[in-house]
Amino acid sequence: MDRALKSRLEAQLGSVIRGAVRQRGDQTEIRIAPADLPEVLRTVHESIDMRFEVLADLAGVDTGDTMQVVLHLWGERSSDWLRIIVEGLPREKPRCPSVTFLWPGAEWLEREAYDMFGIVFDGNRDLRRIFMPPDYQSFPLRKDFYLPDDASRSPGMGVRPVEKPHAPAVAEPDPAAAIRRSPAS
Amino acid sequence: MPRRADRTRQPGPAEALPAAGPRPSLDDPRVMLDRQAGALFEEIPPYPARTEREAEFYTPTEGELFLNIGPHHPATHGVMRLVVKLSGERVVDVDPVLGYLHRGVEKICENSDYYHVIDQVDPLEYVSSLFQEWAAVLAFEKLMEVEVPQRAEYIRVLSAELLRVQSHTLYMGFLALDLGGLTPILYSFIERDEIVEMLAALTGARMLFNYFRVGGVNGDLNHEFMSRLGDWMSRAGKQAEANAALLNENEIFVRRMRGVGVLDRATALGYGVTGGNLRASGVPFDLRRVHPYSVYPQLDFNVPTRQEGDSLARYLIRVDEIRESIRIIDQCLHQMPDGPIMAPRLPRLLRPKPGRAWGAVEGPRGMLGVYAVSDGTDQPFRFRIHDPSFLNLEVVPHLLPGNLLADTMAIVASLDPVMGGIDK
Repeated sequence: MDRALKSRLEAQLGSVIRGAVRQRGDQTEIRIAPADLPEVLRTVHESIDMRFEVLADLAGVDTGDTMQVVLHLWGERSSDWLRIIVEGLPREKPRCPSVTFLWPGAEWLEREAYDMFGIVFDGNRDLRRIFMPPDYQSFPLRKDFYLPDDASRSPGMGVRPVEKPHAPAVAEPDPAAAIRRSPAS
Repeated sequence: MPRRADRTRQPGPAEALPAAGPRPSLDDPRVMLDRQAGALFEEIPPYPARTEREAEFYTPTEGELFLNIGPHHPATHGVMRLVVKLSGERVVDVDPVLGYLHRGVEKICENSDYYHVIDQVDPLEYVSSLFQEWAAVLAFEKLMEVEVPQRAEYIRVLSAELLRVQSHTLYMGFLALDLGGLTPILYSFIERDEIVEMLAALTGARMLFNYFRVGGVNGDLNHEFMSRLGDWMSRAGKQAEANAALLNENEIFVRRMRGVGVLDRATALGYGVTGGNLRASGVPFDLRRVHPYSVYPQLDFNVPTRQEGDSLARYLIRVDEIRESIRIIDQCLHQMPDGPIMAPRLPRLLRPKPGRAWGAVEGPRGMLGVYAVSDGTDQPFRFRIHDPSFLNLEVVPHLLPGNLLADTMAIVASLDPVMGGIDK
């Protein structure tokens, strides 16, 4: 856990970080709004005491209510992974600024997030489907896309252990909740 | 263009097929397969370009030619299509088309419980599947906050480094195969077979091991594994040198690799290239050193780095890494402590507390990462797999232009992509 990184992030990005800087194990996590993404990335990439140079991952997440774009960065000045969660993208029309201005290699990662979640990255000049065929219509990793053999949502639910309903272990399962949602965290 | 069927038999109006309705039976004497096929497959209108880059790529200038390499091509290391734009024999631009092996593993994992996930991620990088398991297990252990016993960590390192040797040895063979040399692949497979048989004695499977568990490994070292390993270790170093000598001193091989497909440091970092491909460009980025996990801090090994960034450097990095892996295996055998191989008191069904975790390991091809989100159920809410080959392949459109078509496969093979991991 890199305490110095937390204070640096709070000092340099305190105005755009939503909520607190969270740390757990070897990971430091911040949450930001989509519009702040280019500024935050420029800061953590170029600031002399952070230098997060390696884009480890860019992924989309559908929480059931909104969309997120999650970035993982690595820098030699810190012993932590930095996780940037871009939150609050509307599910109907998710849009996010592209990060290809810093890492041109994010182009394919963004294409994948577009292909799987329908997140549109403004500034990516090659945003087309990468895995699914070009005439494909839906976005397979969204939570309202069910597997064709998802028996948990059919009348004879619970046929195989793999297909049990996605209810939290502690709470009462809500039959009205059609989409599996992430806990409000 | 007149088709053969048109010359022999013209359908009259009485024989005309119904315009709509169910598809006619092939037993229907009026059906002419040629004509049907023509109507179905030959007159698809070209669809408009979807992006700026696609429009630019598919608009050839005078004297340029498109060539499809793949999807089925022995040198594409899987099922991948490279649309190559050629001017004469020189490559102008490349558009890789992926997705032929896409199975939606992330979706399947989000619908499997935590033990099934380890099984599901195995076939992604089928050449070195333990690393993929390791990344998933590492992320789950961070979610569960499980402490792994030392002996299990050593067994993990031991088996994974064996697999790294196997993967790099296969890489050398396939690289030579793509350049037209048939001999090295035979020696690679001899070496590989010994290692996978050894791991079969340990794990029960030759390729898709399903061996790592959250909190440890599935089985302890046994007599057959240890005897095979001792047998192999007594000549592994010498054998690796002999295999490398087949290629290192081959003038055709070296002259076709040196100075071809040069990847500079800034491009490699910008494109997220990791693993040996990045270290061949002069960046000493090896997660075993720069972000240590497991027992790697207690082991003594070097991170080989080269400055050239060409195909030959990428090959030589692998040769050096085989030596380092053999050193690591040797140290593991000497330092291996006694003790349990599984963490105690783990539930039969894992239900991590809600949270997020990122686990990354250094695979043979680069950084293998897993981002797992738990919502408290027995299935991960989001299971993201980051595969190094995906980004290593992305750099191909920047390495190929200006090279000869014959070097296309050599450069792609020197990056060591595995399509199972790329397409997920």
